[in-house]
Amino acid sequence: MPQKNINEKIDELNEKVEWFYGEDFKLEEASQKYKEATKLAKEIEVDLKSLKNDIKIIEEDFTKE
Amino acid sequence: MENKFSVSDFIVYCNQTLEYAYTGCIIEGEVSEMKTSQGKWVFFSLKDEGGSIDCFIPIWQLRIPIEDGMKVIVRGTPKITNWGKFSFTVQAIMPVGQGNIKKSFELLKKKLEREGLFDPAKKRPLPKDISKIGVISSTQAAGYADFIKIVNERWGGLEIKVCHTQVQGLVAPDQIIRALNYLNEHSAVEIIAIIRGGGSADDLACFNDEKLVRAIAASKIPVITGIGHEVDESLSDLAADVVASTPSNAAQMLTKDKKAEIRNLHDNISHIYTQISSRVDLIINDSKIKTLNISTKILSAIELYENKIESFVNVLKSLNPENILKNGYAIIRGDIKVGGEIEIEMKSRKINANITKVKEK
Repeated sequence: MPQKNINEKIDELNEKVEWFYGEDFKLEEASQKYKEATKLAKEIEVDLKSLKNDIKIIEEDFTKE
Repeated sequence: MENKFSVSDFIVYCNQTLEYAYTGCIIEGEVSEMKTSQGKWVFFSLKDEGGSIDCFIPIWQLRIPIEDGMKVIVRGTPKITNWGKFSFTVQAIMPVGQGNIKKSFELLKKKLEREGLFDPAKKRPLPKDISKIGVISSTQAAGYADFIKIVNERWGGLEIKVCHTQVQGLVAPDQIIRALNYLNEHSAVEIIAIIRGGGSADDLACFNDEKLVRAIAASKIPVITGIGHEVDESLSDLAADVVASTPSNAAQMLTKDKKAEIRNLHDNISHIYTQISSRVDLIINDSKIKTLNISTKILSAIELYENKIESFVNVLKSLNPENILKNGYAIIRGDIKVGGEIEIEMKSRKINANITKVKEK
């Protein structure tokens, strides 16, 4: 399975957060879901602080017709 | 040894010499006696206080409207025609000075507006959660450095493809067009940012080039422009899907702010905790209400039975013979016949008596 990028992880976290506000909420599952959400939030924070942008200058010569 | 030429050969020789010596030379002057021939060729003179030269440009290469009196710079090659007349073949032309640039801008703006090139309905919004950005800029320019600095400060994990081009002067429009085509055909970027920092009206005039404006409007990939300062407006801006006021502003529009995102993460987690507490409170309250309802039902059932029992007791009480005796009545026991002995029971006494007479009522 390919690794998720930051945006996908944020989307996943938003879904997890929404669960706590939705109709499917179950008290028995809340503790586990809370642990998963905090773990994912921590992971995203680490990613945000450490990820660098990949900047590539295209080698094509645009001066040539 | 003396060189001997035919006239035609001499003209060819001169043109080769001129082309070799003056390829791509740039001349600044004022346009006069401009005329169009057969809808294909444009002829005009370029003059200053001391002289004048005849210029020629195919109409399809005239990418900015010009008119008599307008000061321009032209790039091209000098040439001697077959009739021995000196002419300057123009490859590119651009107005010079704020007034001329403004005039040319307005003329082309009207034309392209009529064609619907700037129609707001055709504008595409910025894609959500951008991860691949194409940038067209001069990598040596301050505007590019600002753009990259802000992008790096705000977000990470982005794939950025940069096309290095000139961003001012007569050669810039064609280079930017080639870069636009390249990104459209050879990359998977989600947005193309055309970036150029502030400069004079002359510096930014290349962004009013008709062919460039059309290329921006025709780009399959949405285009954002971050050209000049807040006050600058180019036709490229009008053709782009999204306009940023500066390169830094373009960087802000294309990226989320990781500091704000981290704050948001913390807020979300803390709100979850509050949410769980309020859900638990809700469940407890719900249980209390249910318990209370059950108690109320049981109590009212008990009350109902109590009332029934009480009414039974009252009926029984009313049927008790003791109560009848209390009202002055008496119970008679014995054989009811003349000479018979009977017992009469009253509230507080019992009497034995003999019957002397029996009569039917």
